[in-house]
Amino acid sequence: MEHWSLLLASGLYTPEKNSPTGVPFVCPNTETSKELKPSIETEIPGNHSRSSVNEYVSLQQRIFKLTFVVTAFAGMFTIIFVDYHAAISLFLGAFSGILYLRLLAKSIGSLGKNSTSVSKFQLLVPVVLVLVVTKLPELQLIPALVGFLLYKPSLIIQFLLEPSA
Amino acid sequence: MDSITTAASVVAAGLAVGLGAIGPGIGQGSAAQGAVEGIARQPEAEGKIRGTLLLSFAFMESLTIYGLVVALVLLFANPFAG
Repeated sequence: MEHWSLLLASGLYTPEKNSPTGVPFVCPNTETSKELKPSIETEIPGNHSRSSVNEYVSLQQRIFKLTFVVTAFAGMFTIIFVDYHAAISLFLGAFSGILYLRLLAKSIGSLGKNSTSVSKFQLLVPVVLVLVVTKLPELQLIPALVGFLLYKPSLIIQFLLEPSA
Repeated sequence: MDSITTAASVVAAGLAVGLGAIGPGIGQGSAAQGAVEGIARQPEAEGKIRGTLLLSFAFMESLTIYGLVVALVLLFANPFAG
């Protein structure tokens, strides 16, 4: 009985040509004839990739949320203890860092699917940030760079919380 | 800014970016190779592999960014400019 169900589930069993198609196979030897259903659930190949993609997306979302929290704390600290202009520079740098991380995650997400190498397009973000900060006199360079690197504490926290991620 | 300081700043900026990108470039290449091989062997672990790759890339590429920032500061906000 188990052999029959395993054969049906594995797809090795082929029904006879004379048996009517569409009619469920009935086991003749059993007292209570039951319809044979595959006892082993066949795995759909797309399920693995879909769940792993969801896992990657949720990891990105956790990192972005942590970065926003770290940015909020650092911004409040800067407003209270340093300067208003320094806080604006820090927020600008932090959002540049988030944009950089988003572009990096996007290029890593397409690695192996659309491209064979990770693009370097995200490196333009710190270049543009430094150029903007040096051109505008209201903004300060050091807080902007510190803000840009605020994604690293969130990465470290994420790595410490979930080492297998 | 005198000409010697300008020339030294430009050379130092080039060296900072060039030398600073060698190590992370090699590391990122080998990491990407390992990740793609791992995904090909175990497609069910694709999410975890990509997540680990994202974290390691972010840490590796920050070394390149340090060199890039030093070069940009030397070029556009040089502290040695008199």
